[in-house]
Amino acid sequence: MLFKRPKNSLEGNTKIQLKLFKEKSDTAEKEMFTCKKCKKTYSKNELSQSFNVCPYCNEHFKISARERLNMLCDSVSFSEHDKDMTSVNFLGFEGYDEKLSEAKKQSNENESVVCGVCTIVGIKTAIFVMDPFFMMGSMGSVTGEKITRLFEYATNNSLPVVGYCVSGGARMQEGILSLMQMAKVSAAVKKHSDMNNLYICVLTDPTSGGVTASFAMQADIILSEPKALVCFAGPRVIEQTIRKKVPDDIQRAECVMENGFIDNIVGRKNQKSYLGKLLRMHMRYRV
Amino acid sequence: MFSKILIANRGEIAIRIIRACKEMGIYSVAVFSEADKNSLHVSLADEAYCIGKAQVKESYLNMHSIISAALASKAEAIHPGYGFLSENSEFASLCDKYGIAFIGPDAKTMANMSDKEKAIQIMKEAGLPIIPSSKVVVNVEQAVLEAEKIGYPLLIKARSGGGGKGIRLARNVEELKYGFHVATSEAASAFGDDGVYLEKFLTSVKHIEMQIIADSHGNVVCLGERDCSTQRKNQKVIEESPCVRLSDDIRTKMVQSSVKAVLVTGYKGVGTIEFLYDGKDYYFMEMNTRLQVEHPVTEMVTGIDLVKWQIRVASGMELGFKQEDIILHGHAIECRINAEDAYTGFRPSCGKIETLHIPGGPWVRFDTAIYQGYVIQPFYDSMIGKLVVHAKTRDEAIRKMKAALCELIIEGIDHNARYNEEILDTEEFISGKYTTDYLSTLEMI
Repeated sequence: MLFKRPKNSLEGNTKIQLKLFKEKSDTAEKEMFTCKKCKKTYSKNELSQSFNVCPYCNEHFKISARERLNMLCDSVSFSEHDKDMTSVNFLGFEGYDEKLSEAKKQSNENESVVCGVCTIVGIKTAIFVMDPFFMMGSMGSVTGEKITRLFEYATNNSLPVVGYCVSGGARMQEGILSLMQMAKVSAAVKKHSDMNNLYICVLTDPTSGGVTASFAMQADIILSEPKALVCFAGPRVIEQTIRKKVPDDIQRAECVMENGFIDNIVGRKNQKSYLGKLLRMHMRYRV
Repeated sequence: MFSKILIANRGEIAIRIIRACKEMGIYSVAVFSEADKNSLHVSLADEAYCIGKAQVKESYLNMHSIISAALASKAEAIHPGYGFLSENSEFASLCDKYGIAFIGPDAKTMANMSDKEKAIQIMKEAGLPIIPSSKVVVNVEQAVLEAEKIGYPLLIKARSGGGGKGIRLARNVEELKYGFHVATSEAASAFGDDGVYLEKFLTSVKHIEMQIIADSHGNVVCLGERDCSTQRKNQKVIEESPCVRLSDDIRTKMVQSSVKAVLVTGYKGVGTIEFLYDGKDYYFMEMNTRLQVEHPVTEMVTGIDLVKWQIRVASGMELGFKQEDIILHGHAIECRINAEDAYTGFRPSCGKIETLHIPGGPWVRFDTAIYQGYVIQPFYDSMIGKLVVHAKTRDEAIRKMKAALCELIIEGIDHNARYNEEILDTEEFISGKYTTDYLSTLEMI
């Protein structure tokens, strides 16, 4: 700082009359949101109206599974599957129970994925959406089981599947059992595919670890949100291993697409119509 | 008292307010445009927030951006300075909505005073002298009758007019008769309304303004006048206080009128009542609901820190002085230093300041935001500083100002110090007889 702040104490000490202002600004503050990227501040209302995308710099912020479903599904068309299925700490992993109850409280969900059936622009679709606010979408046994069941349901009913991935990877608190979900879901995806059903996956920030290594990359069409981190091992893990700085953009969706792993990048606002178009193109007409 | 204030302005006035905050122990928050990131107010304030692009519409006039910065910094009040959002009633009500105190009048009073016609109506009802005018005249005969009451010369003005359109000057009956027909048909085609009225045309008038301050406890104090008649194209160049051509009798009347105007409007904070003075009578022109550029002149002769008191009354404090405590000591003159070339049509100048020497000595004050190496941006007002001097007599003040102007060195850009010096040397200025139109008659070398 160029100029030193003078040591003058506040003139008078009439803090009392400011109580009114304070109260008002406290409520106002709760309604405001500052974009981490472009530093612009605007009302939370404005943010949610643009589906948690910064209206100024197009930065895509995390969005809960329910909000995403509201955005994608035709109104009241969503019916949830396996709603009450929830994880248990079968390994007795220290602190896992607390973590689970904290995650439930924070996300208002029972598990890191919400599965069900809905219509998107009038086309009946099976859908799963992972929730970033539930342990960063970590894949536990219940996550895998719910997605497997959804694929099985879709296979039996000849429905396409739309999946939204956001995950930090397999849930370490469930050890090998969470890793097994990769194989289990993959098998269900294969069976679904063998019956000529469509599977579209949308990668969102971040999609990494076991999820990337299994169902996130097995879709017929892989889409992504702009600038989403798509990787197996995250940049910090790589840096700690090879002791070199990883370039910022190397694991971003744009770079991944350039290397052929993603088919297209679609902004959140256009996703519903884009998915609708794809689903319509691949609709199966029964003779 | 507020513990943190956001200053929604730039340049020298932002510096002036930040300095007051520092003395009062208030944390200051600066806002700046992308072009202003190297500005002095940004480094002088305790915190600073970028509020948008260089263009004022994107930054200093961007209400939501400024409110956001205030909320993010948890500022309790916003000081608008002058210009920009200082007389924007929408901004004042927006501040109120977000629970931020606006350092200025409430939105309603501000809206009333910024509507010129409404303001004149309010003042007329309060008994303030206003420029004599007629009601709408429907035919030539009526116009001639009304004109005799008002006296020539007069202006024929369109009722629905604006922006200088539909105005005709009439110096005598013949011109009135002719002008009436022209003005009505012009008004009908331009505004779809042929209603015209007559207003006294004041030539050779002085622009005299009275500084007032009012608290929320019903106290109103008038801090004397400023003579701002040295104007070029309606822009003030030199201001002084007191006005030499104002008799004590008229001054007392003007003080009373100003206090009355403030009481009638229920105004709070600092403000200025502007009058036109023709050497005999004075007429209410308009009210400025903000701190004025030329406020230092009043500060010098009254010894009252206007910015500090503005903040104090906004926070609910009672005024610490009464009308009878106000005595104007000596004489103060202010010259506006603009980055412009006075000898090639006052073309604005911008660029890097290579050398800067600021005049010093007793009772010399230079309010500025420039420093050596600073780059003057083309996006904003060309005023880069205000040189203010204070002395026992007017003559001494003029001498002091001339000396100070010669001491002011700003290399790298063009500025108008020499032009100011020439004005100070004119007969009209020395005698104090000058009126608002005299600069246009002043021939430039």
